Amino acid sequence: MASDLFGVPANQISNASSPETIEAWDSVQHLNLVLALEQKFNLQLSPEEIEQMKSIGDVTQLIEGKLQVTPS
Amino acid sequence: MAIVIQPYRPEHEPAVAEFNRRLRQSSADNDLVFSGTAVPHWLPPNAGTPIWNEFFVAIEGSSAVRGTYGLKQEQMFIRGKGLHRVACYHHALSEGIIDRSYASVGALLVRDALARQPLLYVLGMGGYEHPLAKMLNALGFSLTLVPFYFRIVHPHKFLLEMKAVRDSRWRAILMSIAAATGTGWLAVKAAQGALRLRARPGHFITEEVNGFSAWADDLWSEAKNAVSMAAVRDANTLRILYPADDGYLTRVRVSRNGTAIGWAVVGERRKDPKFGGMRVGSVVDCWASPENAVPVVRAASCALEKQGLDLIVSNQSHHLWCRAFENSGFLKGPSTFIFAASKQLTELLQPFEDHKTSFHVTRADGDGLPRNF
Repeated sequence: MASDLFGVPANQISNASSPETIEAWDSVQHLNLVLALEQKFNLQLSPEEIEQMKSIGDVTQLIEGKLQVTPS
Repeated sequence: MAIVIQPYRPEHEPAVAEFNRRLRQSSADNDLVFSGTAVPHWLPPNAGTPIWNEFFVAIEGSSAVRGTYGLKQEQMFIRGKGLHRVACYHHALSEGIIDRSYASVGALLVRDALARQPLLYVLGMGGYEHPLAKMLNALGFSLTLVPFYFRIVHPHKFLLEMKAVRDSRWRAILMSIAAATGTGWLAVKAAQGALRLRARPGHFITEEVNGFSAWADDLWSEAKNAVSMAAVRDANTLRILYPADDGYLTRVRVSRNGTAIGWAVVGERRKDPKFGGMRVGSVVDCWASPENAVPVVRAASCALEKQGLDLIVSNQSHHLWCRAFENSGFLKGPSTFIFAASKQLTELLQPFEDHKTSFHVTRADGDGLPRNF
């Protein structure tokens, strides 16, 4: 998902990737990332959670955590 | 540290000043400045007022401001659906503009605004490529351009000063030649004059007035059903938007046979580098039944010409007002002025695509007043 959104090859994205290391990760793409995550995983992200998404690692951890507590 | 969005209070003012300083230091855009005071100078939230501004700040930790926005709360008339309280989202500023680690703030601000007022609109933005326009598009807002019109009063000055058109060396040379030889003057006057011949405004009287009273209420009631949507323009609201003691704007009442048939508010725009040294006037706002739009546009234009302005501009969304401007010698130019309606507001405006050309949106809407028109 991040690869498609930011136009960066998947092998160049790591847990440490962030707005500071991915040129295309600006405020617009941050919102697109939020909306894409909400749609793909059928969940709602709170303002606190959106603000926590400072790197791909943060995003992964956040979504994994939410999926664990959300009954499928 | 967590970022929390809350109403802007006086104790936040030093942090907002610091936020403004950081934005100014890192950006050449002088418009990237938020209100230095928690209480809005323009449209403060007084008891009983139908239209007011409220400000919000995104606070990180105990006091650092990382974002700001304003909501202009107002009444909107939607034909067939009556009056609705809506808000204009404006002055959304994010630390993300200068520090990419705050890229999340833009999304936080707009979602916070939607949570506070789902019937939200945004006006202006500077084109579809603007980051805010892209964000609104992603959030499912309906976006439409508000047409732009201009009338050249002094062609010689326009040809020499219009930086936005003199954008290549050859074009600048050709425009200078056209100015020097008078051919440019002739071409502009002929084109605009021909347009004015397409409509006859009939007899009308123009007078500058200090304020709006019952006659403006009558005009609001008479004409509102000719539009599919308009911010309320009754006398009470107009007195707040255009107070009698504001000498910067000119209020023009247009009458026929002793009865008011329309009004316009005009004023000189702030200096803008793209207009060079020209003095640019704006038909900021206007109202009339569509059949009386031409005399109102002519009266507004004349009031600005009397003030010695070189170029007159306006943004108008209603197709009959657009035609009135064209039939008054105005030329249509490229617009970057966007009206964007949230999903819930779009629902009220359906069918949006059919109705959008009969919205009544002008430079006075959004955050265009008191001087940003």
